[in-house]
Amino acid sequence: MTSSSLTVFSLNLKFSFLLAWYYGFRTVTRGPSYVVASLSSPLTLLFLVFVISRGRLLPFAIAGGFITLVASVALSSAGDAAFLRLQLRIQDLFVASSVSPVDYMLGLTLSYLVFSLPGMALYVALGGLAFHIFTPPLGSAGLFGVLVLLVVATSAIAFIIAESIKHVRNVWGIAGILSVVMTVLPPTFYPYTYIPKYALWALSISPATPAAVLTQGFFGLARPLPYMAYVLVAETLVYFLAARYLTRWREK
Amino acid sequence: MIKIIDLEKRYRDGPPHALKGINLELEDGVTSIIGRNGAGKTTLIRILSTQLEPTSGTALINGLDILKDTQEVRRNVVSIPQESGPIGILTPVELVKLFLVGRGGMSFHDAHVLALKTLDQLGGLREFRNAPSDTLSGGMKRKIFVAMALAANVDTVFLDEPTTGLDPPLSRIEVWSAVRELDGNVILTTHYMEEAQELSRKVVLIDNGTVLEKGTVQDLLSKFRGGKIRVECSFDPGGPLNEDRKHVHRVRPPRSEAESYIDRGCTVKAITLDDLFLAHGVLVEP
Repeated sequence: MTSSSLTVFSLNLKFSFLLAWYYGFRTVTRGPSYVVASLSSPLTLLFLVFVISRGRLLPFAIAGGFITLVASVALSSAGDAAFLRLQLRIQDLFVASSVSPVDYMLGLTLSYLVFSLPGMALYVALGGLAFHIFTPPLGSAGLFGVLVLLVVATSAIAFIIAESIKHVRNVWGIAGILSVVMTVLPPTFYPYTYIPKYALWALSISPATPAAVLTQGFFGLARPLPYMAYVLVAETLVYFLAARYLTRWREK
Repeated sequence: MIKIIDLEKRYRDGPPHALKGINLELEDGVTSIIGRNGAGKTTLIRILSTQLEPTSGTALINGLDILKDTQEVRRNVVSIPQESGPIGILTPVELVKLFLVGRGGMSFHDAHVLALKTLDQLGGLREFRNAPSDTLSGGMKRKIFVAMALAANVDTVFLDEPTTGLDPPLSRIEVWSAVRELDGNVILTTHYMEEAQELSRKVVLIDNGTVLEKGTVQDLLSKFRGGKIRVECSFDPGGPLNEDRKHVHRVRPPRSEAESYIDRGCTVKAITLDDLFLAHGVLVEP
């Protein structure tokens, strides 16, 4: 990237919102299978956790399902971003225009958030109305903040993957593996206290880990670990800046 | 006006020397960059439109340096990538509107109105402007991108092989009619000679990363014709009779010999850009 493109950091929020509306909302309304696909893994795991733990770990699975849903949708977006870049060449169209990489990334990130909305509504219904897990209002506000940071961090990871690969077919496999490693291995569906501290730190490479630990603390499911908020904020910053400056908007 | 200065491109994992120090001036108007696959056409277009960094050298587009004034250049160009496809779930209006809003300085409403106006301007797209673009023909999909360039109203438009992959002739003719609507500087790459002759006044012939010929279509043709014609015979006109009648033999004799070839059953044609390509060894005779 040239020095001039590095120094210009003005946002075109109108573009980002329009891209999110078109790529997110239009996709959901014109192809609802996306919503079902994004919900299938978390709901399957929820069912398995319910059966295996005989209902004991259900609150963890509902809170963690929220995290898994957002993170896995954002991670699987690497496939879409790679498809837009390599197959449709839409990204090239925007590179040779006034659109900045941050505008584009933000637009895609917001569109994945739109993909997640129906699933999130289902989890709100499950956690808030059916099982009364999301009761403390402060906890719900905390969960909202965690989800915003999580979607930014995981979308940035997805963007780094999408920009690095050369063949679009490779991205499906990579995104699939990462989705499992980064959303199912972390303590999303079980109490974080079940694993040793070193494993918790190792798993913290995934933003889903601090997000899940914080969520369990917010709703009184496990002892709160407030320092995980710093871990999540730092990770979000690192992944976002890596996506912004390590990926090449103008190819070399 | 585009001035290309010592432009060189080496890929780490691709053609090792895609552009070999090109120096070229492209005046305003429509210019076709022609050459076979791998000649360096797309690399040149991608560098000029700021999508790709050159290894060395630079280019000035209306006085703006593609490396030093990148943002300013991007505000004044539109580049339609080779074989680009629209996002299938979006309609032509939505795609053009998204592109206009992305370029900045336009409200949603103004972008919507301009998108409608532009799509109406391009014949054939009007009735499909609200249909998901994946339901449109290949030619119509390409026209959406030309509509983006038209609506953006910029100084310079780059079109990388605008009709590659389209079923000739109808889809190509549809795209050609849309390209003719563009004003200002239009640089297009193609390997269809017919397309270059149809759309542009000037052509640049490149091969293996270097410029072989440049000039107006008429200048190049008259220089190459030099009072000659193109003759196609089903036998070798220089060899013994009845020898090898399976292949078409092409020769470029002086115009004065036309009648003698017609008498021998050969077909006489005018020399085209195809012959220029053949002479440079850029095209292989079928």
